[in-house]
Amino acid sequence: MAEQYPHLEKFRDQIQRCSRCGFCQAHCPVFGGTRRPALNARGKMLLLKEVLEGSLELNDELVESLFQCTTCASCTSNCPSGVDVPAIIKAARKQMVGLGTCHPAFSGMDQVLDEYDNIYAEDEPEDFDRVRGGKAEVVYFIGCVGQYREEDATEAALDLLDHLEVDYTLIDEVCCSGVLEDVGFSIKPALARKNIERILATGAKTLVTGCPYCYRTFSKQEAYAPLREAGLTIVHLSQFLAGRDLGLRSDLKVTYHDPCDLGRHCGIYEEPRQTIKAVAPNFVELADHHQDALCCGAGGGVRGAYAKNSLAMARRRLAQVEDSGAEVLLTECNSCVHNLSNAKLRAQKFRVMTTPQFLMELIEES
Amino acid sequence: MEIKGYNFPDELYYDPEHFWVRVEGDELVMGMDDFAQKLAGEIVYVQLPSEGKKLKKGKKLAKVESGKWLGKVLSPVNGELIAVNEDLELKPELINQDCYGAGWMYRLRANALSELEDLLRGADAVRAWVEAEIAKHASEG
Repeated sequence: MAEQYPHLEKFRDQIQRCSRCGFCQAHCPVFGGTRRPALNARGKMLLLKEVLEGSLELNDELVESLFQCTTCASCTSNCPSGVDVPAIIKAARKQMVGLGTCHPAFSGMDQVLDEYDNIYAEDEPEDFDRVRGGKAEVVYFIGCVGQYREEDATEAALDLLDHLEVDYTLIDEVCCSGVLEDVGFSIKPALARKNIERILATGAKTLVTGCPYCYRTFSKQEAYAPLREAGLTIVHLSQFLAGRDLGLRSDLKVTYHDPCDLGRHCGIYEEPRQTIKAVAPNFVELADHHQDALCCGAGGGVRGAYAKNSLAMARRRLAQVEDSGAEVLLTECNSCVHNLSNAKLRAQKFRVMTTPQFLMELIEES
Repeated sequence: MEIKGYNFPDELYYDPEHFWVRVEGDELVMGMDDFAQKLAGEIVYVQLPSEGKKLKKGKKLAKVESGKWLGKVLSPVNGELIAVNEDLELKPELINQDCYGAGWMYRLRANALSELEDLLRGADAVRAWVEAEIAKHASEG
């Protein structure tokens, strides 16, 4: 058996360490949205334990469970046995893809990135009417969601950089392809090479991105090591903005949704709050926040593969916003703002936007 | 009328972007046509903008998304959005189940009903258009 599933074997100890206590169930967004125990972290670990014991085959029948995980890591944050579930899920998916079994939406992502420079197979990127490929102190990397799905959020981020008189340039960016690592495939070296060459050609010292996932990819993935080796400082936009005196003030009751990729995966919790609280002192936390934040349901390829369940997960998060009495929900991730906006019911009167959108509204009003 | 397995009721107007329009008094009801809903697959999200939204002919009215596609709904006329099908908020699949009935999307008021003249109507025109669309997508697919 040891050679049958080499990706999973690396995690045999951890999979066996799951004591089936079920602490993860209370935090798992997939369970919360579906109420199906087979879909929470414990259920997934039980399946994989049987796979490693040889009593269950790693085949198409397990796609529904193992590919339906947002890799949000809330289970891991609350696991007394220290099981790194997202890493195990990624390994299981790679194993399954290697065996020729995969959710079609995920294999579709891999195929799209063989043919297109973006994850949505779109032909025409929004122009944003900014310099691309210039020389500047800062490169701003938009990411696919900001480029093709949440253009207003990107426009606000760029307007804010303009307002702050930041010396920045865009590049002719391509998908960082980091998400492929989550869904059973691998980063495309050709895409990484294009991004690296174009970023470094600007002569910038700092790479800023509004996308938490791109930030994670650039900061941590081996394929993007040349950016780090070149001495580039890589930050998320929320870090770039933290500590700046924006001279703005809002009396609105505001709350904040921690994106999993920024919070649990990168430990960035306080920088966004620093900016928001300085502007909106009437700030409230949601019932679950910081490392306990409830996932919006969009990550790990779930928004594409299981859209209805993904929206159901977002609605659970939005119920917390309603309970908080907040008038505005802010977040720092285009994927989160996309899913939360899509899921918001018309009866829910609070607004959903990115922090830069909120700041730009205040700037335009002042 | 049925055209190669797709249902296109005779009395409706059709926008080339695959939305149908029905005249009800001085109001218009619109939705996605049968060809589009079948091509899109299960609809998972329909944007329902606020009533009162000003509409410009050919400009984005809303977004609609299926598991494999995200599209824009373009307004067929200049005018105003006066109602949305709130049932689609939690049951967007109604578009797949009954695209000309329970799956209607928006109710509009046009500045001038004469703008409908730019849309397709009548068996011959609709059939020629749909058959061309089927052939186009077959060659692309």
